[in-house]
Amino acid sequence: MKKKNLKLTDISKDADAQLTELNIDELIPLPPPYDRIEGLPGFKQLTGDQRERLVCNLDGFVALALSKPKNQEEEKKYIEQFVSGLKKLLSKEDNWTFLQPLLLSLDYCARCQTCNDACPVYVASGNNDLYRPTYRSEIFRRLVDKYARPGGKVRARLGRGDIELNWATISRLYELSYRCNLCRRCAQVCPLGVDNALLTRELRKLFSQELGWAPQELHEKGTVLQLEVGSPTGMRPDVVRDNVKFLDEDFTEMTGVEISTPWDKEGADVLLIHSAGDILSFPESVVAFAILCHAAGISWTLSSEAPGYDGVNYGLFYDDVQLARIATRHAQIAQKLKVKKIVMGECGHEHKALITVADRLLTGALNIPRENVMTFLENIVFSGRIKFDPSKNDFPVTLHDPCNVVRNLGIVEPQRRILRYLCPQFREMTPHGVDNYCCGGGGGLSVMSNVNFTDWKVNVAGRMKFKQVLEAFADQPGPEVRKYICAPCLNCKLQFRDILKYYGVREKSGIICGGLAELIVNAMVDIKKPFIAWGER
Amino acid sequence: MSGIVWHIFAFGAIVIFLIVATYRTLTIIRLPIHLRWELAPIPHEKGKYRYGGSYLEEYEWWRKPRHRSRVAPIVYMAGEIFLLKGVWKHNRALWPFSFSFHTGIYLLVVALFLHVINALFIITGVPLSVLNIFQGIASILAVVGYLLGSLGTIGLILKRALDSNLKPFNTFSTYFRLLFLGAVFISGGYAWFYSGDYVSEMSIFIKRLITLNSGVTVIFPLALHIAISLLFIVYLPFTDMIHFMAKYFTYHAVRWNDEPQDEKMVKKLRGLVAQPINWSADHIKADGKKSWVDITAEGTSEEEKP
Repeated sequence: MKKKNLKLTDISKDADAQLTELNIDELIPLPPPYDRIEGLPGFKQLTGDQRERLVCNLDGFVALALSKPKNQEEEKKYIEQFVSGLKKLLSKEDNWTFLQPLLLSLDYCARCQTCNDACPVYVASGNNDLYRPTYRSEIFRRLVDKYARPGGKVRARLGRGDIELNWATISRLYELSYRCNLCRRCAQVCPLGVDNALLTRELRKLFSQELGWAPQELHEKGTVLQLEVGSPTGMRPDVVRDNVKFLDEDFTEMTGVEISTPWDKEGADVLLIHSAGDILSFPESVVAFAILCHAAGISWTLSSEAPGYDGVNYGLFYDDVQLARIATRHAQIAQKLKVKKIVMGECGHEHKALITVADRLLTGALNIPRENVMTFLENIVFSGRIKFDPSKNDFPVTLHDPCNVVRNLGIVEPQRRILRYLCPQFREMTPHGVDNYCCGGGGGLSVMSNVNFTDWKVNVAGRMKFKQVLEAFADQPGPEVRKYICAPCLNCKLQFRDILKYYGVREKSGIICGGLAELIVNAMVDIKKPFIAWGER
Repeated sequence: MSGIVWHIFAFGAIVIFLIVATYRTLTIIRLPIHLRWELAPIPHEKGKYRYGGSYLEEYEWWRKPRHRSRVAPIVYMAGEIFLLKGVWKHNRALWPFSFSFHTGIYLLVVALFLHVINALFIITGVPLSVLNIFQGIASILAVVGYLLGSLGTIGLILKRALDSNLKPFNTFSTYFRLLFLGAVFISGGYAWFYSGDYVSEMSIFIKRLITLNSGVTVIFPLALHIAISLLFIVYLPFTDMIHFMAKYFTYHAVRWNDEPQDEKMVKKLRGLVAQPINWSADHIKADGKKSWVDITAEGTSEEEKP
């Protein structure tokens, strides 16, 4: 097993062997008290049965639970499908959606490796070669050149880099395409504008759209379920309405303020589309929006038509067709309700999917104005319609920037203006804004927890962010001071929930994570009791 | 080499370069409009660029005028091209070699431009004093370019061969390209030092090319340099070293392309979504005939379709 100095050609060798190994003591150190390895749970090892049944040939972690092929014919079939997918990626008909960015990133990389140190996964792993943003990209690039372009095999032999395409290559590339958060920090620092995250997504797309391979959390239990039922949470329209009604009643009692969520109100100014996961996992967020919209006198509604009550769009992470299907449905529902605009809930990828990426899919009557949640909330806070008392938020608060909101959309300041106004002890992480680190759950990883993948997410992908959080609160590290990570994105909150639980952070450091709307409501003069719950989330 | 061969060689190399570079550029330009994939910070965002903000920060942005800077993207690109600011900031260990290498190239391009001007001066009979000044500048730029280029190339070859970060990504082509460009720089330096009056020889050579004078003769060191350079000019557009052209598109057509849809764009998009989808996975439900719009808006009425 090779830990360092991995060669590109190693990807195609010995399909049953693990390509690299990760050890906790090789990862970058965390600040105290999380620097003592003996106090941590360690990595969950794969069982003999899992090794027998599943493809476990990458790094000792399994996110995708891909079954081993039954025979050589099946292997051959997958290889042929992969080549066919490579060719479709280069076709104007089949891949018009991203062909230009794809070709520019494939053809003009200078292999200068400037991007490596920008990648939180690579750095956190202690510079493991496997996690270089360029490792999978260069293999992908060489496979495209060799198998999908005329004369490729000759060019490969003449010195352009020869990678053999076999079961080992395909199965490892598939798993490796889910060791990237698609955060695009690497693209940001590339002097030539090459985008390794885009290449990773194209690779995922090939697997999904041609071979039908995708993580079940993103596909069967994600986009497929959302299109069939309404939401990856499995909630059907009647269940969502019931759940929200229950929340309205519960929080009316708790806050003493009448909370009533409007449903399917035709002609409303705003169709608010939450991530339905918030209703189940972070219900205070959903309630906070209802309180704020009501207090600010906004004409708004939720939709109970599937999937109009769930703004997530996992297609963004792996499949253009699923992405387009869901975005189209969201816009159709808004069109039917004759709303003036759609406002996203606190969900980063929903923003990117619906505001920018789908902008060139939703033409004609479907091009309904789409507003981001940060400016929407900023407008409410500074409208003068609600009285605030910032002293109610007088505890340390730091802001986690969801990559899809800052780096991908350039929405940086509105959320900060709110926090500077309402949170006297607000402090930034370093770096922040468009230079932020991903929470480690980006690219769909936050909802993926197959086999032992959660261990990888919290230890490797989320490590830089966790380190940043601890450093932001370094002046008051103990649990006696309550501290709040404001993460205005469901997927980021889910990832933080996993990190905080894994390390026991609430108990050891007094840190919890929640959204932005809750902080705003917590500072409202009219809400007499504290809105933020500091207990277990 | 006789005069006519130099003419064929020089003009042939230039024509091949132009044809292949133009073809590759047009290939990129003609690619279909893609989905938005911008990346902050975007320099044309007036007042917001310094922290990476965009027009989406404005409440109801679709009602607001956009404030775009035309100068900021040019300033950004100039810093990238001439100072390699990105490499300086994010890959400092590579910067001295890369900067030296690229500056060497830029100086030689400027020197070549001055050689052509000098040739035109000779043809048009510009006073000798003016010609001397221009030739002096061309000579200095050329020798500095050769030296910087040679140092940069040697540095890059050593860095690529010895640095464990770069080594796994090298191929035969990586070294071949650097050695080839290194040969251009080193042969140029050799010609500058051993061709007597290098700059006059160069001016006269170009003058004879321009005037189609068949009596073109060049002394050995310079002839070697010109021959290697012309071969490199032929080779260049076939490689990814033409990234100076691609960089325009990676920035302007992808990273900084934040244009919301407009009528012209919608017309193009309607053509694209009318194409059939051929992806094979079951969930796509493609049959080779159904279009993108049929598949993504399945089960909805005509007016609900994009």
